Amino acid sequence: MEMIRPSNASDLAEALTAAATSGATIALRGAGSKDAMGGPVPDAQADLRLDRMSGILQYEPHDLTIQVAAGTPWQELNAVVTGQGQMLPLDPPRAATATIGGIVASNCSGPRRRLYGTARDMLIGMTFATLDGSLVQAGGMVVKNVAGLDTQKALTGSFGTLAAMASVNFKLVPLPEASRTFLFAFQAAEECLAARQRVLASALQPAAVDLLNPAAAKLAGCDGFVLAVRAGGSETVLARYARELDGSASLEGEKESTFWRTVQEFAPAWIDQAPEHSLVRVGHMLSELGEVLDSAAGPVVARAGNGVSYLAFDGIDALQNWMIATREKPWSRVVEWSGAAVQRNVELWSGAVDDFALMERLKVLFDPQRILNPGRLYGRL
Amino acid sequence: MLNSSVRDELVRIVGSRFVFDRPEDLRLYEYDGGVDKARPDAVVLPQTTGQVSAIARLASRHGLPLVGRGAGTGLSGGAIPRFGGIMVGFARMNRILEIDFANERAVVEPGVVNLDLTIAVQPGGYFYAPDPSSGRACTIGGNVAENAGGPHTLVYGVTTNHVLGLEVVLADGAVVRTGAFWPDSPGYDLTGLLTGSEGTMALVTKVIVRLMRQPEAVKTVLAIYDSADNCAATVSEITARGITPAALEMLEGKLIQIVEEATHAGYPLDASGVLLIEMEGLSEAVEEQAEKVRAACMACNAREFRVARTEAERALLWKGRKNAFGAIGRVSPFYYTQDGVVPRTKIAQTLREIGAIGKRRELMIGNIFHAGDGNMHPIITFDARKPGDLERAQRAGFEILDYCISVGGSITGEHGIGMEKMELLGHQFSDESLDLMRRIKQMFDPLCRLNPGKVLPTGKGCVEMRQPPLINLSQEM
Repeated sequence: MEMIRPSNASDLAEALTAAATSGATIALRGAGSKDAMGGPVPDAQADLRLDRMSGILQYEPHDLTIQVAAGTPWQELNAVVTGQGQMLPLDPPRAATATIGGIVASNCSGPRRRLYGTARDMLIGMTFATLDGSLVQAGGMVVKNVAGLDTQKALTGSFGTLAAMASVNFKLVPLPEASRTFLFAFQAAEECLAARQRVLASALQPAAVDLLNPAAAKLAGCDGFVLAVRAGGSETVLARYARELDGSASLEGEKESTFWRTVQEFAPAWIDQAPEHSLVRVGHMLSELGEVLDSAAGPVVARAGNGVSYLAFDGIDALQNWMIATREKPWSRVVEWSGAAVQRNVELWSGAVDDFALMERLKVLFDPQRILNPGRLYGRL
Repeated sequence: MLNSSVRDELVRIVGSRFVFDRPEDLRLYEYDGGVDKARPDAVVLPQTTGQVSAIARLASRHGLPLVGRGAGTGLSGGAIPRFGGIMVGFARMNRILEIDFANERAVVEPGVVNLDLTIAVQPGGYFYAPDPSSGRACTIGGNVAENAGGPHTLVYGVTTNHVLGLEVVLADGAVVRTGAFWPDSPGYDLTGLLTGSEGTMALVTKVIVRLMRQPEAVKTVLAIYDSADNCAATVSEITARGITPAALEMLEGKLIQIVEEATHAGYPLDASGVLLIEMEGLSEAVEEQAEKVRAACMACNAREFRVARTEAERALLWKGRKNAFGAIGRVSPFYYTQDGVVPRTKIAQTLREIGAIGKRRELMIGNIFHAGDGNMHPIITFDARKPGDLERAQRAGFEILDYCISVGGSITGEHGIGMEKMELLGHQFSDESLDLMRRIKQMFDPLCRLNPGKVLPTGKGCVEMRQPPLINLSQEM
């Protein structure tokens, strides 16, 4: 397989045109940290890697905006903005190797999405190359912009199936003075859910509200059903959280970072353990979280303030049985991460959504020959 | 004039009470909040998604343009039926279908008035975050079409950050649902693609929105400056100090006087710049932020820093901001509001450039805008009765927008392109970028009947409408 590693946007556009002309199937990657996400690309003829398209292109801290090349490592971006007292609070999995482009292409997110949203919400602009060799601009370097169609929405979460990002622009957030995490542990799921409800209905505005079932809590060194509430602010503000979240244990400093690193890396760590492992992303109502927890036999990490839960499975049978058992639920269920034994042998997506026909047309509009990362996204788009 | 068989069919779909085609009725639908005008051939007010779908199928069969309209408060001509055809008014699809506090969601029809949603969820302690200045009249459907913003989007984001799912009717009448009650729906983000598409890709018939918990404390302050430069510099000073206010609004120049004389909000008549800053959140956080904001303002030589002590004082400070446009009406019969965006650090120089353009074009231009996110709203006053005055005002507006582009900004932050800024879109985006927008638009609407003649520059858009407008406006005037 031919490996292509362009170092700038026009080389990237050229590489895509060349592939389109020859009809070669392209596997598009940043650093390849998400090969276990989505479906595999069967029989790719070209391996297009964006890791050489790296670097901060524009950063004016007082504007709270940044533009980076798509192949820039997440850690590099993180270090640069942290140095200026700012942050991009996406908490992506595989943070050590992930690239910015890959994070946007998979719309990866993490615990602090309760307050800050996902890549979709922090993104303000993008340049991408299409298979006809065009370099398309979307959005810009300002935080508010409704000029023309918001084409970057199509690319966000598209797993490289439409076009290849050359650079992305984000808005940033000031780092809070301090951070603290409050942990509640319960024997019963009901108690944990009730505590979650009290937090969500309170005046508190935590950055993260995650719920771990006992199997997941164990991986993080905790017992029982754990509710983890992360807050940022001054000591006075954090003291208020401590008062309202009475009865919790509080984590700060290295202990806090370690806990959240475990949560943030829950999916890849699980997948790396065995080729039969898989992880399903379930979209559900906040009020359905109890049912989702009940349905699972393995570890579950829930973004309990967002309605997105991650269910881990240790074998193909366990996964398929769960899929059958929850067939009638209104939830959206996607096998987001899967080990090698699962990825090629299991249907990763269940049931077509109402707008699937439009999605197929969008795919064909960008990629009529279906050569760009075919099969990576939902429904083998 | 509408073909009588089309009229009969519309009547069959929604009933005769809800089809309008007399000139005196149509006249009420020929304008929006901007400056352009065009009359539809018929206005129809459906009440259900099924009716909208039937209307779309009918329009499709007869090759008629189909233009959606919420409350007509848009400022860029988004709801102007410039090629006539059938206008679908959503005034009767105004039910809040579901409010679910436990799940922080509401499901609404497109004709629900923005502020009515917040009022409906207030008793439960929630609010709907996007708050355009026209919130008392504009509709959620229109907000989705334009991806509307507002003062508080500085901290909460714009409409697209609060819409999770849609039900839409496509040009051929097909009904499609996108997204869900939860985020991260599988596949491509069609909800995000449709939001802000200005009625050119689909008609929205249902919207799933996020509700947010009302903040425990709100504090509003006013900072007064003798220099507009210092006032503008405060905006990036606040950013530099790591503070994110909920709203950060600026009034500048002669507008301060005009607004004060009309509203008596307490803005000093001799000030050159005023910042209206609001902090929201936990009471402890709000108190701290207010102190930090005071320090930032003082570091930038604010003359005075006033804190609203009561709800009445707070409302009064906002009254000046919210009624600014009415106030301008007292001094100028006509005004034209622009909507450009610049990086926050470029606000001061942009204000100077706007001043220079006003001087050169001999126009009074004041600025009242969302400074926190660099969203400039120069208000250009003119007299439409004087020949050439409107054109002069528009030209000044476009010069300002070209300047915004030149410093890395955008020609619209929240008003949309509509028919007002179509040609300018080509100044901001390359031909390749425009072409992709066109192809996506055509994927949804292959025959270009949904809100034709909008958004994309002439010649870069859909195939031009071959059919001339059915009513000759000049004969009707």
